[in-house]
Amino acid sequence: MTQSTYALEVHDISKTYATVRAVDNLSFEVHKGEIFGLLGPNGAGKTTSIRMILDIIKPDAGQISVLGGPMTEATKSRIGYLPEERGLYEDMTLLDTLLFLGQLKDLTRQTARARAEAYLREVELWDARDLKIEALSRGMNQKAQFVAATMHEPDLIIVDEPFSGLDPVNTRIIKNLLYRMRDRGAAIMMSTHQMHQVEEMCQRILLIDHGSRVLYGPLDEIRRQFASNAVEVDLRGELGHVPGVERLVSRNGGYRLLLQDGVQPEQLLRTLVNMPEITVERFERVETSLDEIFVRVVGRKVANEEGTA
Amino acid sequence: MRKIWLIATTTYRRRIRSGMFLFLTFGLPVLMVIAGAVPFIRARGGDLPAVGYVDQTGRLAPVTQVPVEDATLALTAYPDIGAAQTAFQQGEIAGYLVIPDGYFQGQPAAFYAEEEPGGKLQVALIAFMRRAMLPDEPAWILDRLADPSNLTYVARDSGEEITAGPAVAVRFAVPAVLALVFAIAVFTGAGQMGSAMVREKEQRSMEMIITSLAPRELVAGKVLGMTLLSLTQVGVWAIGGGIAFVLAFSSVVDVQTLSIPWEALTWGLLLGMPGYFLYAVLASGLGVMAGDSQQAQQLAGVLGMLGMAPLYLMGLLINAPDGPLAVGLTMFPLTAPMIGLFRMALVEVPTWQLIASLAILVASLVGSIWLVARIFRAAMLMYGQALRPRQLLQALREV
Repeated sequence: MTQSTYALEVHDISKTYATVRAVDNLSFEVHKGEIFGLLGPNGAGKTTSIRMILDIIKPDAGQISVLGGPMTEATKSRIGYLPEERGLYEDMTLLDTLLFLGQLKDLTRQTARARAEAYLREVELWDARDLKIEALSRGMNQKAQFVAATMHEPDLIIVDEPFSGLDPVNTRIIKNLLYRMRDRGAAIMMSTHQMHQVEEMCQRILLIDHGSRVLYGPLDEIRRQFASNAVEVDLRGELGHVPGVERLVSRNGGYRLLLQDGVQPEQLLRTLVNMPEITVERFERVETSLDEIFVRVVGRKVANEEGTA
Repeated sequence: MRKIWLIATTTYRRRIRSGMFLFLTFGLPVLMVIAGAVPFIRARGGDLPAVGYVDQTGRLAPVTQVPVEDATLALTAYPDIGAAQTAFQQGEIAGYLVIPDGYFQGQPAAFYAEEEPGGKLQVALIAFMRRAMLPDEPAWILDRLADPSNLTYVARDSGEEITAGPAVAVRFAVPAVLALVFAIAVFTGAGQMGSAMVREKEQRSMEMIITSLAPRELVAGKVLGMTLLSLTQVGVWAIGGGIAFVLAFSSVVDVQTLSIPWEALTWGLLLGMPGYFLYAVLASGLGVMAGDSQQAQQLAGVLGMLGMAPLYLMGLLINAPDGPLAVGLTMFPLTAPMIGLFRMALVEVPTWQLIASLAILVASLVGSIWLVARIFRAAMLMYGQALRPRQLLQALREV
């Protein structure tokens, strides 16, 4: 029997609150050893989906398979969750909090202590171990929550806005920890609005809006799908009319050229190189950022809805 | 079970360190002990001052010294009240006893002093009267007269022996006191439970915890932790109250002769523990359904009032302790512990009724944990909002 490569399989799950369809026939998978981005505007149904995956709330329909089967009490110890709503017991010390949460994840007290101490050193919170949670700064609290969610070294990690409130140095620390967990084979599902982090870290993404799947698949493919037919060039000389170019915009000492339908960038490059009055110094295909894709997809839906309203 | 215990001990440790809890738990018994110690100190403390007496009957033997425990009361006889008054004003004596002419016909003797005599002086004055009335009798007769018969009462039906005097009152008071302790524990415990749950919701810590264990384990752990906390509180109060009782009444009652009503204590424990758990589980459910601390307090208050309800029905229960109302309330899980114990103070409650009451109580407890665990799932993530009836019904229907 071959072992599934999926850490998480979600099939046609739906959830309705009163008259609001929070999640609508949503399906996706998360592979072992990948960082998967869960994206969507506020109120799109991301948190509801995560809560259904974690068995905090029940779906009205659909099936969820976590780490090879339905959620059980034993499975819970193999999952790490950093929720959007942060909350640790404010009257407990940092170390006691980690010991408590580590033991809840089936670590022995000794192992929990060893792990907590190692992680606290790694995220530079060792000196704050005896402070009460209420005395921690926002960034320290964020790192503490992250350690609490991952110190039991789970096989599936779900993190909601993991970099919220962190400066670049601390963001790097958490990012490195996530990479290490991925390299260990853990599946990481990351929900965030920081698109540049998704671009840097995720192999595949799911974009949902109004509870439904809007985009899903490898990030590279999605970006290609949304790539604009444009190039940026830096050159010496004056650029006049160029065959195959629909529009020419001068920017930052260079040019952005929007190609006519059917014209490939390679053809344009040949044309430019053969123009004696100019020397090409840089030629680059313009990639569409995830941020633009997000705005374009979600904005289009909003525009369509406003049009039909 | 390990996770339930972990939640319970963590809840217990967090709460027991709070300043308010420590103040309430230890402040009250300290006050009780101080209140109980005052008569004890007054009874035990100090030497016996010299006093005078005026025998208007002319029939008492002259007595100038009365030994009491480790001290001796010195007395001076005065021919009339005027002479005693003069000696008192001149500070020769601390007070004087006037035995009126009609004393032997039942007229009371009177002691004149600046303040009420302490317990030790009162004992010494009584010993003086015995000695003055029976000057020639040996000391052992006088001692025996102080307590002429340690009556033993025997219950005709059960053959149970009940030791004499105040012990009888204690025997019947214990179930009633236990019922009251239960009511107080429920009233304070339900409030604490409700506010603990809503605080948990407000701190938004549940979402992380609930991904590590089942909702029923969280409910059970919280309830167990809070119950241990309440037991600590009630235990400290009971010890403080017990010490205060012994201190306050040690000069009046021989504490060693009091018999322990084991049956009442056993049933008190058997009905009281699941009864308390039931209230705590329901209070936790109300707490998690509430939108904020104030609402949780109000809901817990309603539950606490329900727990105290038997007190309002005491008149009816005393008149008919074996009537249908009393039996019905013994079977109803929310009133079973209090009514059962109150009835035990009044009549012999049939054992089958107590067993049936216990069975219903335990079944209700199991059902309530199941119910509250379902409510938990729906309500715990509604930060700052109360659970609406429709959402409640949906939560109960979900598989």
